[in-house]
Amino acid sequence: MKEDLQMKLQAYLDGELSAGEAKAVLGWLAQDAAARNLLVELTNTRAALLSHESEMKVSDSREFYWSKIRRQIEGEDKIVIATKRISLMDRIHRLLVPAGAAAAVFVAVMLALPRTNGVGDGFADAGDAVAFTYHNYDSGTTLVWLDYPAENDLSEMELDDTLDL
Amino acid sequence: MADMDYTAAQDAELVQASRQGDMVAFEQLVARHRDKIYARAYMMMRNEEEAIDLSQEAWVKGWQRLVQFQGESSFTTWMTRIVINLCLDQLRKRKRQRAESIEAMEEESGGVERQMPVVMVNPTEQMERAELRVRIDEALGKLSEAHRTVLVLHEFEHMEYKNIAKTMKCSIGTVMSRLFYARRKMASLLQDLKTSE
Repeated sequence: MKEDLQMKLQAYLDGELSAGEAKAVLGWLAQDAAARNLLVELTNTRAALLSHESEMKVSDSREFYWSKIRRQIEGEDKIVIATKRISLMDRIHRLLVPAGAAAAVFVAVMLALPRTNGVGDGFADAGDAVAFTYHNYDSGTTLVWLDYPAENDLSEMELDDTLDL
Repeated sequence: MADMDYTAAQDAELVQASRQGDMVAFEQLVARHRDKIYARAYMMMRNEEEAIDLSQEAWVKGWQRLVQFQGESSFTTWMTRIVINLCLDQLRKRKRQRAESIEAMEEESGGVERQMPVVMVNPTEQMERAELRVRIDEALGKLSEAHRTVLVLHEFEHMEYKNIAKTMKCSIGTVMSRLFYARRKMASLLQDLKTSE
């Protein structure tokens, strides 16, 4: 018997065929003894399985079985609460980090500035050959120029050394 | 909630109370249906320890997803679907670990069942209920995971081909082929068990 016919027979048994297809299968069954025998086998097997009720029971006591479930549920709840707390801390952290960094830069710049007497603008060499500061005392503005080493020939050479060309 | 008689309450009442965070109500649901959920897990996994773990995991998931339970099916049907999905996930993981391809399994079932002689006598006829249960259980244990799963979903969960295909992430043709093989193999195994007495 061809596979598609076997599948059709099974689909007939399972009620998965349209009315037209089911009628065609009935006509085929009337003429084919092998198909009838196969249908009997499939029907018997299905009937046996349908009547099957597993008697499997949990061997653990009610309390013991439940205790693991309860622990997991309570554990999950704690994780959710902890996650909420962390996200609040994260938000504060996100605000504090840039503000703190900006403050640190400002303090560092202020400390690096040489104190001059009198009121007015002034340039200062911050002790570094490639850093200059300009301070306007009236507006309280400080500008810092940094001459990055990457622009130097030496730095480019060092950079080339790190690449495997 | 405090006045609820948990042991006398209907499932729907216990579900409602559980949704509001009443763990005593949920524990009552677990106590009522744990055997059924465990039995379904065992039927699929064939391993007591795994079945216990998966059934407990299913209850945890059930608690977490209670808001999603609309009452369209019974609570046990809903819980059974959760445990079946967990079992399927576990079987997939196991399959990946074994590097066992579904295609290989398909080949195994691709023609053997068509060669089997038809079992003409009903092998389960005149069998005691308890005896039949043991026989079927034994025979189910001899099927491959894929064939057993399709059989469980169709015969015990009464799922249609298309829903089984969706659940198992395969084609309807594969479902039909596996189901056919599983049934024929079951018939043969039940026959063997009877004649080997």
